[in-house]
Amino acid sequence: MSSLLEPELIEVMEHSNRDSDKFSGPLTAEEKEEIDREASHYENKSSVGLEALRIVQKHRRWISDDTIQAISNYLDIPVAELESVATYFQLIFRQPVGKEVIYLCKSASCWVMGCDRLQKHITETLAIEPGQTSADGIFTLLETPCLGDCDKAPVLMLGEEMHRNLDESAIDDLIDKKKKYHADKSPD
Amino acid sequence: MPTITIDGEKYQVDGEQNLLSTCLTLGLNVPYFCWHPEMGSVGACRQCAMMEYKDSEDQHGRLIMSCMTPIRDGGIYSVKDEVAEEFRGSIIEDLMTNHPHDCPVCEEGGECHLQDMTEMSGHTMRRYRGTKRTHRNQYLGPFINHEMNRCITCYRCVRFYNDYAGGEDLQALGRNHQVYFGRQEEGRLENGFSGNLVEVCPTGVFTDKTFSSHFVRKWDLQTAPSVCEHCAVGCNTAPGARESGNSNEPILRRITNLYHHDINGYFLCDRGRFGYEYINSATRIQNVLSVRQEDVISSTAEKGDRMHREINPQEAVLHLAEQIAMANQGKRNLIGIGSPRTSLENNYALRKLVGSGNFYSGLSQKDQELLHLVSTIQQDDRIQSPSTPEIENADAILILGEDIYNTAPRISLAVRQAARNRQKQQAKSLKIPLWQDSSVRQLEGDYSPIIFAGTELSNLEKITSNTLFESPEKVASFACNLALAISDPTSLSPDLEPSLLELITHTAGILRGSSKPLIISGTSSKHADTLKSVAQVATVLSDYKKQPTMLYLACDEVNSLGLIQFFNDGKGNLDELLERLKKNTDNQIPTSLMILENDLYRRLDKKSLEQLLSQADEIILLDTLLNPTSKRADWIFPASVTAESQGTFINNNGLAQRFYAVYEGKGFIQESWRWLMDAVNFCTEKPANLSAIAEWQHSTDLSDAIAREFPVLKALDSLGPDEDFRIDGLKVARQSARYSGRTAIHAEKQVSENPPLQDPDAPMSFSMEGIHNPNRSPLQANIWSPGWNSNQSIFKFQEEVGGERRGGPSGIRIERPQRVMPEWPAPSTPPEVAADPSHVQMLPLYRLFGSEELSNQAMGISEVIEAPFVMVNHIDAKAFDIHQRELIELETSCGTYRAEVRISPTIPSGTVGIPYGLPDFETLSPLLPGYASLRPAEAPAITED
Ligand code: SF4
Ligand code: SF4
Ligand code: FES
Ligand code: FES
Repeated sequence: MSSLLEPELIEVMEHSNRDSDKFSGPLTAEEKEEIDREASHYENKSSVGLEALRIVQKHRRWISDDTIQAISNYLDIPVAELESVATYFQLIFRQPVGKEVIYLCKSASCWVMGCDRLQKHITETLAIEPGQTSADGIFTLLETPCLGDCDKAPVLMLGEEMHRNLDESAIDDLIDKKKKYHADKSPD
Repeated sequence: MPTITIDGEKYQVDGEQNLLSTCLTLGLNVPYFCWHPEMGSVGACRQCAMMEYKDSEDQHGRLIMSCMTPIRDGGIYSVKDEVAEEFRGSIIEDLMTNHPHDCPVCEEGGECHLQDMTEMSGHTMRRYRGTKRTHRNQYLGPFINHEMNRCITCYRCVRFYNDYAGGEDLQALGRNHQVYFGRQEEGRLENGFSGNLVEVCPTGVFTDKTFSSHFVRKWDLQTAPSVCEHCAVGCNTAPGARESGNSNEPILRRITNLYHHDINGYFLCDRGRFGYEYINSATRIQNVLSVRQEDVISSTAEKGDRMHREINPQEAVLHLAEQIAMANQGKRNLIGIGSPRTSLENNYALRKLVGSGNFYSGLSQKDQELLHLVSTIQQDDRIQSPSTPEIENADAILILGEDIYNTAPRISLAVRQAARNRQKQQAKSLKIPLWQDSSVRQLEGDYSPIIFAGTELSNLEKITSNTLFESPEKVASFACNLALAISDPTSLSPDLEPSLLELITHTAGILRGSSKPLIISGTSSKHADTLKSVAQVATVLSDYKKQPTMLYLACDEVNSLGLIQFFNDGKGNLDELLERLKKNTDNQIPTSLMILENDLYRRLDKKSLEQLLSQADEIILLDTLLNPTSKRADWIFPASVTAESQGTFINNNGLAQRFYAVYEGKGFIQESWRWLMDAVNFCTEKPANLSAIAEWQHSTDLSDAIAREFPVLKALDSLGPDEDFRIDGLKVARQSARYSGRTAIHAEKQVSENPPLQDPDAPMSFSMEGIHNPNRSPLQANIWSPGWNSNQSIFKFQEEVGGERRGGPSGIRIERPQRVMPEWPAPSTPPEVAADPSHVQMLPLYRLFGSEELSNQAMGISEVIEAPFVMVNHIDAKAFDIHQRELIELETSCGTYRAEVRISPTIPSGTVGIPYGLPDFETLSPLLPGYASLRPAEAPAITED
C-alpha cells in the first residue's frame, strides 16, 4: 500500500505481461488433458475458464499474455473474458512470481497480533516489498485479507500450507527451510 | 393501477416498473448511475437510495435502493428524506475520492451525468485530501477515447457492450479498488455498436474521438432533428454543428442518438455515429465546377476523366438555364437520373424539371426490380413491417439472405434482444420483474430460436440456433420448401437431402409453433427469387396463423423505398436509359444527362456505363462528394448533405420521416432542388410547365406537391411541422440558451454583433431565440432539462420512461394501396455442379465499414475499412490449390481485379464472396452476383482494364 501522499499506480492489466521464457507458448498435451478432464464436469467448455487458468498456472507458475491467449484459443473463450477472471481472482498471477508465494494476512485479528511487524521483518530479510520477488527468485510476498484462522493470528500461507501463531523466529525458520529445499533441488 | 405516496403526494402508477423509473416517469428527480432505461437495474452504484415507510405511522423508514424496489400498492416512499439525501451525498463523496477534478478538460463536461448527479445530491464540498488512484488508458481505435481515471465503476459500459450488444472485447478487469474497464490489450473495440459507450457511460471515460478533434461543449452546438443517411433503417440523429474557429462557416461536429421509440430507441450503430465525417472530408464538393478544356496528361487519369476548375455559380446556372430552354424548344434532350440516397424532394424536383418520361431512377434494372418487389410484398395485408420494439418481442426469427449486422445494423441489435425472450418468459413465470437485469440474465435456458440461411452471417452467429450457408439460389429453394412445409408438410419432395429436410421441418415447426414469429430478409443478396420465396413463406404463415406475419425487409439505401414510389410502373431504370440512348444515336438532338447525387459506377457495370455516358453530349452532376462519376462530369453543382438540408426519406418500414437542416452548408452549397429552381428562374422565357418550379420557396412546397401528385406519398403533407409553425408565436431554437460567444465570435471581422442568420425554410431559428422545450414539438434535438444536462434527460420528454416522445411522433407511414401480391412460380432448383475456378459465382458480402458509399469517406471509418479480398470456400481452395492471403486475380466481364484470398468454411462451395462497395472494389459491385474466373495473380499487377 502506498502512502497517502505518493500516487498509487495501479498495475492491473494496463501493461503487457509478455514473457519470452519457458512459461509461455501453446498448451502442452498434459495441460490440455487436465483441462479436458476438468471440463467434463461442466456443461460446456466455456465455463471451465477459471479451472483452466489454475491448471496451467500450476505448470507454469504464472499466466503470461501468451499463455492466456493459448487458453483462450483452446477453449474458445474470448481472451478479455479470461482476463477478467484472471485479474479478479487473487490466486491467478498475471506477473511472474517466485517459487514460493507468501500470503501474509493483513486483516483485523492479524493486524492486532502484529502482522505489520512480521511484514517488516520479511521485507528486511528478503529485501522485498509486497508484490515483489526476491533476487534469488524464490520468494514473492503478497498481502491477503483474512485467511479464516483468526484465533491463531498472526498467520500466513506459504504456497498451500498455513503457518499460524507466527513470530520473527518462526518466519526465519520458514525462510531457511525453503531456501535449503530449493538449493538442494536441482535448479529448474 | 397501484397508488403510492411519495413525499406526501399520492400518485397512480404503473406497477410493472421499479420505484426509480416510476419516480422518473412522474418527473421527480432521483439521482442514479447504474440503472439504464433500456438495460434495467443491477443495484451496483447505491446512488438511487430512497426511504420506504411501513405505514403512515412509521416515522423512521428504511433506506432502499429505488432501482431495485418493486412498486407496492399503497407504498409510502420519500426522495427528500434527510437520511436518504445524506446517504446519496455520501455515495457521491465516495466516488469523488478517486474521480479527477478535470471537468474543464473533460469532454463529458457540460453533458455529464456525474456532474448532474453531484449537483443534485447536494454534495459540493470535498473533504478527501489524499492522492487518487490512477490508471493507464488504452488506445481503443479511431472512434473512442479512453480516460479510465474518471470511472465510477457503475458497470454500465460492460453491461451495454457485452450483455446488450454481444461484444466480447471489453471487460471489467481487476478487483476491489482497482477495477478497470478496458480491453485485454490495446486495440479497436470490435463491436459495431461501441459508439454508444459514449452515451452510456455516465462520465468521461469513453468519449467520441472524432468529436475530439473539433470539440465544443454540448451547449455550444446547434442541433436539429435529422435522420441517419447510412442505411435504410432510418435511425433518428441529433447532429451538432458550430462555426469553425477560423471562419464563420459552421461545420458538423458530431452525431448523437435522437431517441425514437419505434426505430433506434437509445442506440445507434457506429456507421451512423461516426460516418458523418464524410461531410468535412477532402472529397467534399464545395464549389461549382466546370470542366477544363485542356487534355489531361497524367498517369493516374483514365480515359474520359475530366479536370475541373471552380467557376462562378452564376455562369453554371445560366448555362443550365440555357439547356432547359433548349430542351423546351425541342432542341435538346434533358435526361434526369435520380438517386436513392437523396430526399424525395430532390428527386421530385429533377423529375419535374425533365418530365417523367425523361426521369430515371439511377438504379440498375436488377436493383429497381428488387425494390419494386419489396414494395409489392409490403402492400399485401398478410404482411406487417415490424417496428424495433416489435422485433425485440418476436419469439422466433427466420433470417433469409440478409447479413443484417452489416446491412441494417440497428435491426441486428434488436434481434439480439429478441434472442432473450425465452429467458424473459421464464422470468415472468418465476415472477421476476424484467427490469431485474442480472437476475433475469442468470436464468438458464436457450436463446429463442433464430434460424439463418444466407451467404454470410456476422455478429449474430453465437445466438443463432441453426445456420445454412448457401448461395441465394439455394436459399430461395430452401424458403420455397419451407413454405410448403408450413402449409402442408406432406407435400415436401422426398428427394431432399436428409439434413436439409430436417432443417426445413424444424424451421416450419418453430414458425408454426411460435406466437410472434418474425422473418427478416432484404435486397442485399440481389436475388429476386429469394425475396419472392420469402414472401411466400410469410403469406403461408399468415394463412396458417390467421394473422399478418411480421416481415422486415431491408433495402440498400436510405431512401430506396421512397425513390421507388416514383416508379410504380416498374419503368425508368438505367438499363432502359442505355437502350434508349443507344437507339438515339442517329437523332441529331444533343443530350444532357443530369445526375442527381448518384455515383453511377456503383450502379451499372463499367462497360455499360461508359457506353451510357458516351451517348451524352454533356453531363451535369449535382452531388456532395467527388467520386468516379464526377470525373466524367462537365458541370458539377455542390449539393447539401442531409444535415444541411430539409427533406423526406422513407425507411424500410415505409415510414416517411422529415429531417431538418442543422446548419447551412458552406458557401454556395445548397440543396439540389434549389440549383434546379435557380436555373428555371434564370430562363428568360419560362416554359409554362416549369412555372411551378419557379414558384418553389421551401422544401415543404415540394413535399406538398409530391403529396398531391402521388397518392401513395400523401403522408408527406401531414409530416411536419412546416416553416410557418410557431409555438407561442416563436420558432424552435436550434441553439441552446447558453450558446456562447455570440457577440464575440466574429469580432475579428466586425465588432458589432451580426444579426442571426434567418431561416425562412424551417420552423426553427439559427440562433438561441425561440422555444427550447422538447415537450412541445418533435423539432427539438438538443435534449436538455434543468439539472439534467446529459442525454439522460430524455426521460423528461417521454410519455413514460422508454415510451413515446411527448413532442409528438416523428414520421408517418406512407399508405400504399392494399394489394394481394401475385403468385410467383417456384424458382427452379439449381443443378449441382462441381466447383470450377474458371466459373465461380461472385456473391456480395457486406461490411458495416466499407460497403456504404458516404461513410467510406469519413476519416475514422476509412482507417478501419478492410483491404479488398476474395473469400473462397475452404474445400474449393484445396481443390483449386489456393491459399490464405495469396494474391489472386478475378477475371470478370468488366476487367480483372486482384486481391488477397480469404479462406472460409462457410462461404458456399462454387462461389466466392466479394466485399460490396469496398474502396477499389466499387466498380465490381454492379456485377454482383455474377460469374468470374479465378487465377493466381501474376506480376505485374493490373487493375481493371
Ligand atoms: S467506464 Fe463509465 S460506464 Fe464503465 S463503469 Fe466506469 S463510469 Fe461506468
Ligand atoms: S442502423 Fe442504419 S440508420 Fe441506424 S445508425 Fe446505423 S447506419 Fe444509421
Ligand atoms: S485476520 Fe488474519 S486470519 Fe483472520
Ligand atoms: S441506480 Fe440504483 S443502485 Fe445504481
